[in-house]
Amino acid sequence: MDFRWDIVIEYLPLFIDGMKLTLLISLLGVIFGSIWGLLIAFGRMIKNGWLRFPFSLYVNFFRCTPMLVQLLLIHFGVMPLIMSTPNAVISAIVTLTLNSGAYMAEIFRAGIQSIDRGQTEAARSLGMNQIQAMRFVVLPQAIKRMIPPLGNEFITLIKDSSLASVIAAHELLYYGRAPMGHYSRPWEGLLSAAFIYFVICMTLTVIVDKVEKRLKIDD
Amino acid sequence: MIKIKNIHKKFGKNEVLKGINLHVHPQEVVVVIGPSGSGKSTLLRCVNALEHFHQGEIEVCGITVSPKSKELNELRKKVGMVFQHFHLFPHRTVIDNITLAPIQVLKQSKKEAESKAIALLEKVGLAEKKDVYPSSLSGGQKQRVAIARALAMEPKVMLFDEPTSALDPEMVGEVLAVMKNLAEEGMTMMIVTHEMGFAREVADRVIFMDEGIIMEENVPNVFFEHPQNERAKAFLSKVLL
Repeated sequence: MDFRWDIVIEYLPLFIDGMKLTLLISLLGVIFGSIWGLLIAFGRMIKNGWLRFPFSLYVNFFRCTPMLVQLLLIHFGVMPLIMSTPNAVISAIVTLTLNSGAYMAEIFRAGIQSIDRGQTEAARSLGMNQIQAMRFVVLPQAIKRMIPPLGNEFITLIKDSSLASVIAAHELLYYGRAPMGHYSRPWEGLLSAAFIYFVICMTLTVIVDKVEKRLKIDD
Repeated sequence: MIKIKNIHKKFGKNEVLKGINLHVHPQEVVVVIGPSGSGKSTLLRCVNALEHFHQGEIEVCGITVSPKSKELNELRKKVGMVFQHFHLFPHRTVIDNITLAPIQVLKQSKKEAESKAIALLEKVGLAEKKDVYPSSLSGGQKQRVAIARALAMEPKVMLFDEPTSALDPEMVGEVLAVMKNLAEEGMTMMIVTHEMGFAREVADRVIFMDEGIIMEENVPNVFFEHPQNERAKAFLSKVLL
């Protein structure tokens, strides 16, 4: 097998454009997904079973159907109802938000519920209301336990953003596949894309490890 | 100070409190004893509404708690609670454990809260530990910090839920000494404990509970020397060897 570096160099500006869009889609997916996930997590912790049910259904729907199906449903089904000309990038961000929100909700819920009930009771017995107890006592401890699984989820999300190439969002894999069309050569484009995904995800892994270590100080 | 009127509490179908009536007077130290499962901790937890009860009424410092009342935070500001397992906040230093509620709930300035916290730490003999995290403290030290944390809210009443049951034997004394000190200063206290010697020495009144009711109550000397109730006699013969 010969590897044609000239193809990599030719496509490099496009790979970089694609990488930028991948980073943008992923970053917005992480931000919106976290906020959305926190709301779903509180919904999942409602005591009343009837009120909790829609949140559970939501989480299970997004966890138990393929993300590619969700992406196609949103891009070709839901978005045309909202906008006259669906935009692939927006569809990708919406799908990543809704999907990662479901996973992050479970991470948040598990983290919050893993904190001993005595912590809340101690806070409440000192006159704090439920929100203060959550904010000053439970969440700071829960976040520490959430960091490793959240790191995993962020990495998964970056990789899943490659599905957006299917609806022709011009992200990294979209350009990674382009040389296959032009030159009928799979290696150069796909390996370049794989390499860039790897670098992004490794960087994130290192950052998450550092944050985890810093938060460990007081244990 | 505390008026408990006809409290009933169920866990599912299991009724653990079957109509408790009890008054605790200002500056009085009431010790509640009884076998495990008798409902004594549950009763204590009802007093600051950590446990929801199904019937009856509790009045503390003029604030009434009924099964539906909303003023729970007002009540809890006046009632300090010390738990068997301390429940210090592990992510905060000793002094931050103590100042958190005064700053957030009573809206004290950080400076004011800290100077009060240091005074309280001196009182429980732990001033030099103010900047460490709870994980580096011994059990007895943790419990003394927990007492200081509760006192920082300047409560009118202190509740102790088996404060020495999770401690190694050699650390029980230091915690009881702090509590005794508090009693001598005139704090109103309600204490659930298995420390009979402490009950005898510090209590103004001993309450014996079993099966969700108060079986006997008396001043400690009379209760320990001449218990009337058959269950109380059986219990004492087991714990006072």
